[in-house]
Amino acid sequence: MFSSIDDVVQQFAGQKYICNRAIATVVYLASKMGKPILVEGPAGVGKTELAKVLSRCLDQELIRLQCYEGLDEAKALYEWEYGKQLLYTQILKDKIGEVLAGTGTLREAVDRISAQDGVFFSERFILPRPLLRAITSERPVVLLVDEIDKSDSEFEAFLLEILSDFQVSVPELGTIAARNIPLVILTSNNSREVSDALKRRCLHLFIDYPSQAHELEIVKLKVPGVADALAADVVSVVQSVRKLDLKKSPSISETLDWARALALLNVASLGEETVNDTLTTIFKYEGDVRKAQTELRDFMARQKSRTRTEGQPDPADKDALH
Amino acid sequence: MEARILEFAALLRKHGMRISPAESLDSLLALESTGLGTRETVKDVLRATMVKRTSDLPTFEEVFDLYFSNLGEAIRESGEQAAQALGTTLAEYQKLLEQLEELLKKRQEQPGTNELSELARALLRHDDGTLERRMREASETMRQGSGQSGKQEGQLGHAIGEQLRLGEIVRELEGFSDELEQLGADAETAAKIRELIKRRLADLADLIKRAARLEAARENPQPKDTTGLKSLGEKSFYYLTEDEIRKMKEAVTRLAQRLRHVVSIKRSRAKRGTFDLSRTLRHNTQFGGIPFDVQFDRRKKNRPQIVVLCDVSDSVRNVSRFMLQFVYSLQDLYSKVRSFIFVSDMGEVTKLFEDHDTNEAIELALRGDVINVFAHSDFGRAFKMFHRDHLPSINRRTTVIVLGDARNNYNLPHEWVLRDVQRKAKQVIWLNPENKTTWGFGDSEMDRYMAFCDVVEECRNLNQLYRVVDRLVLS
Repeated sequence: MFSSIDDVVQQFAGQKYICNRAIATVVYLASKMGKPILVEGPAGVGKTELAKVLSRCLDQELIRLQCYEGLDEAKALYEWEYGKQLLYTQILKDKIGEVLAGTGTLREAVDRISAQDGVFFSERFILPRPLLRAITSERPVVLLVDEIDKSDSEFEAFLLEILSDFQVSVPELGTIAARNIPLVILTSNNSREVSDALKRRCLHLFIDYPSQAHELEIVKLKVPGVADALAADVVSVVQSVRKLDLKKSPSISETLDWARALALLNVASLGEETVNDTLTTIFKYEGDVRKAQTELRDFMARQKSRTRTEGQPDPADKDALH
Repeated sequence: MEARILEFAALLRKHGMRISPAESLDSLLALESTGLGTRETVKDVLRATMVKRTSDLPTFEEVFDLYFSNLGEAIRESGEQAAQALGTTLAEYQKLLEQLEELLKKRQEQPGTNELSELARALLRHDDGTLERRMREASETMRQGSGQSGKQEGQLGHAIGEQLRLGEIVRELEGFSDELEQLGADAETAAKIRELIKRRLADLADLIKRAARLEAARENPQPKDTTGLKSLGEKSFYYLTEDEIRKMKEAVTRLAQRLRHVVSIKRSRAKRGTFDLSRTLRHNTQFGGIPFDVQFDRRKKNRPQIVVLCDVSDSVRNVSRFMLQFVYSLQDLYSKVRSFIFVSDMGEVTKLFEDHDTNEAIELALRGDVINVFAHSDFGRAFKMFHRDHLPSINRRTTVIVLGDARNNYNLPHEWVLRDVQRKAKQVIWLNPENKTTWGFGDSEMDRYMAFCDVVEECRNLNQLYRVVDRLVLS
């Protein structure tokens, strides 16, 4: 567990995850109060990563439940292993014959069998899905419910019950209470509004795109091979592009991809050609690429004029003066 | 402490955020486990426990800064700034204050002079604690004194000043600065002290302004009206202010969401189709052919296709706006949505909605890039254009929605277009934002068009619009 908010920042930094105080505070509170965290924010700012890093920091297993439309209890909680049950009954046919030996009436036989049915509806034949696994695990775990906004609202209501009581009732077995309360992280891309009831039970954390300095730090940490000047260029391009009205703004993961690609290509500084060639790593839509290109051209021009004023005055500038 | 947090929560509620008692309780528990620490920590903690919607974040930041405006910090800051402004180092400033103290003492020894008031002394001596206490007290008494609700910031500032007896303090200190030489200060020191006094008086005025702003926010919150849905629902689309349009947009978003939940529940109930023999056999081979896990047909979702024709002339523009917003918020419930806008020309805006988000696309469509939105309405002409260019795209799964008041400026109505459309389409729905009783009078061609529509509805406010959309997605 964490001893203070600063401790969270440090331990996360140890796992190469740079977080601001707001994030650290929420994580600390969640670990103290045993409350789930609902993380919102644009795609690719490290919401899922937060859970992964948390599990590494705490040295706890990460159990992940990816939500999608149509996700139901059988996929999220538990399922009976029909196949195994069937196999066992086949193998144990003789044994069942023995149990039933000597019974006179059908009623007697049914009574005797029903005395044994606990064997087949026991935890042995239950197939735990992520939620049940998180609850019944011997050691505390981190449970990541990814993209909760993709699931149906019925599933959300069902999740609500588990998150408030941390217990599950299986009709054949009774109620299974959590051995350890897992640390729960829910992520949402806001494709639909998560219900108020669920929000109320969670600590809310909004992760936005990082500031320039922050992002530069992340790039340097995550892409060790990249030159400082290049990293700075990459970050400032991405930051300025984010101000544009794009269908999908590049997020940290795209910045990292780009920096990695440029580092792989052994690029020392951004030139117009390299930018155009590698633009597809940060933009996912054709329209966005076109929009960004003009912005990038301006950026390059600014970059050039800056180096010019720093270095020798350009003869072209002189001519312009006359 | 608890009281302040609860008061803060109440203030947030006044500003339109929804904070349940459970959440304020959480925030108290959370503060207990982190300890108060710095102002930033408190802010982070409260943000995590109280703000549950991203859209509420700006409100929270604003109210937090106001409420925990931290008069104390402002007071300290102003002191530091005074020191800096007098152009001296901290040590010299300290010395200046000592000289000032001596002068004050001398002044008191002189017969016939009263001691400076507590606040004046606190101000000069940088007694931050007393200053803060007096400011808070002043706000408090003012708040208890009745009849100050609805006051503006300036008036509130005035009231606080009165409570603090600002006038007296100014007079006192001005008197004091005149006496400096008599009290034996040399010219240089006197000048400096005079400067200091001037500076501190300005600071005090600043602080009062700050306190007044806080009071104003407390008394006259500008809540984002979240409860007004009901009254908004009955409001006619004709008379909407800018502000109401904004609110209405939020309302439409919420309604659309509600509708989607309803649809998703109905759909999932209807998901089970008939027993599927071949899939059951195939699936259950793993259980030795014993049908443990019975498979059903997935019922095919019959998602309707929608074509919306929106009149965007001045008179019906708002209805069109919200109709478009509705239809596109629920886009995933239909297999295909095409939208057209018209005044006297017909223009397709489907692409706008593909490239931009819904609200933005609506603004673009209404701005007049696609068609001339300032022309005179001519339904007949627009319909003829539609007939020529887009009739083939209508099939028997298509629902055609026409939104307009059918005020045709006495042009040819060309209702035969609608007849052709109705023959090909699943249904034609006409929504008219005018009162039913006025249909057919004057230049309204509604009675002619009505003959070729399956459904004709009056659609003058949000509730009526909601009902129409509701029927549309559930049919």
